[in-house]
Amino acid sequence: MSKDSQMRAAINQKLIEMGERERLKELLRAKLVECGWKDQMKGHCKDVIREKGLEHVTVEDLEAEITPKGRALVPDSVKKELLQRIRAFLAQHSTL
Amino acid sequence: MSPAGCSHVNAYKVDNWRQNLRVIYQCFVWSGSAETRRRKVLQNDAGWTALAKSCICHMCGGHLNRLHSCLYCVFFGCFTKKHIHEHAKNKRHNLAIDLLYGGIYCFVCQDYMYDKDMEQIAKEEQRKAWKLQGVGEKFSTWEPTKRELDLLRHNPKRRKMTTNCTIGLRGLINLGNTCFMNCIVQALTHTPLLRDFFLSDRHKCEMQSNSCLVCEMSQLFQEFYSGHRSPHIPFRLLHLVWTHARHLAGYEQQDAHEFLIAALDVLHRHCKGDTTRDDNGKKANNPNHCNCIIDQIFTGGLQSDVTCQVCHGVSTTIDPFWDISLDLPGSSTPFWPLSPGGDGGTVNGESHLSGATTLTDCLRRFTRPEHLGSSAKIKCGGCHSYQESTKQLTMKKLPIVACFHLKRFEHSAKLRRKITTYVSFPLELDMTPFMASSKESRVNGQYQQTVDGLNNDNKYSLFAVVNHQGTLESGHYTSFIRQHKDQWFKCDDAIITKASIKDVLDSEGYLLFYHKQFLEYE
Repeated sequence: MSKDSQMRAAINQKLIEMGERERLKELLRAKLVECGWKDQMKGHCKDVIREKGLEHVTVEDLEAEITPKGRALVPDSVKKELLQRIRAFLAQHSTL
Repeated sequence: MSPAGCSHVNAYKVDNWRQNLRVIYQCFVWSGSAETRRRKVLQNDAGWTALAKSCICHMCGGHLNRLHSCLYCVFFGCFTKKHIHEHAKNKRHNLAIDLLYGGIYCFVCQDYMYDKDMEQIAKEEQRKAWKLQGVGEKFSTWEPTKRELDLLRHNPKRRKMTTNCTIGLRGLINLGNTCFMNCIVQALTHTPLLRDFFLSDRHKCEMQSNSCLVCEMSQLFQEFYSGHRSPHIPFRLLHLVWTHARHLAGYEQQDAHEFLIAALDVLHRHCKGDTTRDDNGKKANNPNHCNCIIDQIFTGGLQSDVTCQVCHGVSTTIDPFWDISLDLPGSSTPFWPLSPGGDGGTVNGESHLSGATTLTDCLRRFTRPEHLGSSAKIKCGGCHSYQESTKQLTMKKLPIVACFHLKRFEHSAKLRRKITTYVSFPLELDMTPFMASSKESRVNGQYQQTVDGLNNDNKYSLFAVVNHQGTLESGHYTSFIRQHKDQWFKCDDAIITKASIKDVLDSEGYLLFYHKQFLEYE
């Protein structure tokens, strides 16, 4: 494992242990609902389902179609805020 | 996408599968406690004999690629990189669980399967974790039960609520000076929580006779939301009121406020059949802990603090209330005037331009410390003797719907008259200054507003106003009710007309109904 992914894993472990990961998830969830991202994605999902047909569509189909769109449509402000939170957390627990 | 699982999922459901599944949810998906979170990171035991590793892919060590856990053994693998797929093929372990969302994937059917029993377990574990994390209940969308689906199929008529619809608006025929009743009915049928309770059929009647007022209320809501535009004739309601509140019987004009209290009381008594049962299945018969819909919506707690002037010991009692009756300037009881332009009024944005009394003024007077005087000494528990004291009323617990009663009708020994002083009231009201918890923030009776404007718990919105025109001897009640935000209607018995916000706020005001803006799950 590269040093980078080692660091990532260590940070992730710390986030989980301190319960911060769950809190960040909640924050992200709230922000994505607030800015309308969730509704946008819901709309896209419906489009994909309509295209492929309800009986034939699989979660993988949806994932393949939605993921790139979803990633691209997250507002920068939300990314910034999450990043700030993580930075603050790391600063607090600087034993890492 | 099969809604009922698959044969491979069914094959899994043998022996102790429920417990095993729960453990997986608790440890790896919805880790609620610090302990399980540590386990998630380090190792787990819980019946697994194989050596467990931390929650990372056993093939590549990553954790960001939609990690799944095998349901048959201790193996974590990336989904995106197909590591879990390889494991499934090699070991013939058909099922895996998505550690992010808890979905169950079947490698044979090549899709996520939704099994009712597993979904049930997943939901329960998620709720438990939320509780442990201190998140409490969260909103989840409505999933109709089989019975509900049947009901929906057998009753295909639907009504669409748009922002402009007038469903819920209906006139009421005056049956002979019954405008006092009509106004209260309009206010109650437009109380959102009450409407939701009755329209979702939550009243299960346990009364033997058919004189249950709650049932009649339920009927009333059906009539109001039926879409009929002709006025409704509430003769059954009137008859029931006469039966259960004898003092209101007869064709004379009655007091709308008295009717409100009597109606709430009868509804509360008839709701006893709905009181929740405690864990032992016993009915909670304690009158102080009634959990009927009336109490849930209308009951608040009024704190009364009596302070001994000698030893400064405070004796506190909390009494339930359904409404707040406010004295007005111009009555025979002295009103403590607060100078016009005083900064207290700006808490609720009321205008002091004309020097008019505001609702906030009345509330401040209501919650001010009052010297009880030497003729009303209280037995002090600290001093063990009768001492002079001050008494102060504040709100301990705010109801979801706050009803303010402006005491316009004076019935003292000397005179009977109506006080027509104009009292201005706001569309939005912040009750924070009048809370028991805000007592310390009040210096010389003026509330020092802290920066805690972020606290939304005490914010209220006006949704109904009952007005009285005329004199004590002959008068008429009308009401304004809010149909949608900023959309008001005037209800004058059978006649419903559109009203402007100005009309509402300029009216005299007798009963003011406010609804909490933000509701929390308990």
